Amino acid sequence: MAQQRALPQSKETLLQSYNKRLKDDVKSIMDNFTEIIKTAKSGRKAGEGPSRWLEPAVWIQLASLLGCTAIEDETQVSRATQGEQDNYEMHVRAANIVRAGESLMKLVSDLKQFLILNDFPSVNEAIDQRNQQLRALQEECDRKLIALRDEISIDLYELEEEYYSSSSSLCEANDLPLCEAYWRLDLDTDSADGLSALVLASPEPSAGPLQAAAPAHSHAGGPGAGPTEHA
Amino acid sequence: MATYSLANERLRALEDIEREIGAILQNAGTVILELSKEKTNERLLDRQAAAFTASVQHVEAELSAQIRYLTQVATGQPHEGSSYSSRKDCQMALKRVDYARLKLSDVARICEQLLEN
Repeated sequence: MAQQRALPQSKETLLQSYNKRLKDDVKSIMDNFTEIIKTAKSGRKAGEGPSRWLEPAVWIQLASLLGCTAIEDETQVSRATQGEQDNYEMHVRAANIVRAGESLMKLVSDLKQFLILNDFPSVNEAIDQRNQQLRALQEECDRKLIALRDEISIDLYELEEEYYSSSSSLCEANDLPLCEAYWRLDLDTDSADGLSALVLASPEPSAGPLQAAAPAHSHAGGPGAGPTEHA
Repeated sequence: MATYSLANERLRALEDIEREIGAILQNAGTVILELSKEKTNERLLDRQAAAFTASVQHVEAELSAQIRYLTQVATGQPHEGSSYSSRKDCQMALKRVDYARLKLSDVARICEQLLEN
């Protein structure tokens, strides 16, 4: 059903090596564990009295659970030597079990890395989700900025009216309000270049009157706020 | 993030396998420790040995399934997808917000100065 894709040799070899490592490590763990059980059983049989032995029924059950076979209890060395040998063998086998376990952990780590780099469906989904999140955040920022602009333009109109009509204004009697000055300049020059120069010279959103007075300009502010539009 | 469901699901499964490998070693150690005692707890031995065997088989099956899945989906080519463009757009939107905040603070400061004067 699932056809084997034409993987590059390196990838295919890598995946086959993963399989081999898995089989070897699992086999190592099982074999060493069963051998430890066998050695413990043979050691007990050659050991102390029956009151301290494990019940034969339990040994049989444990051995059958692990697939152990019958063990000869005849040895060619003394009991102490055999005991030392069994002790050393158990240490080595326990170390082998731990090494195989660590090798399995390394295999899992390699599989995680391979998954992150080569699992295209999940990578595509992760990229799509990230793009959606960022796009949603960007749209929310822009939406709030536009709402803020609409509110600020009203307040700026009032501020400007207050500023130019108050006695604390620093401008002289011949001075014109900012919007009037710009319109005069526009009439004097009568060219689109001058207007674009003005637009380029004041790109800030706080330039409310200019923005509101020239709603047709292709400025970042878009359509100007209604109340701030001058005649 | 909880939103990366498909990507995290397999990674989470591999993390569970890692924990299970630790449990395997712990079960093996418990069995050997129990065997070393003078008077062994038979029920504990049975339970731990059965858990050990089941865990080993489960780990092998899960890892084989993961390797089989990777064999099916891996193409050998590098993934060239990126979220850079949307990240850049979002970064510029945040810059716009910061700039607007800066300008608003300037306007507020000027208004306060004029009120004081």
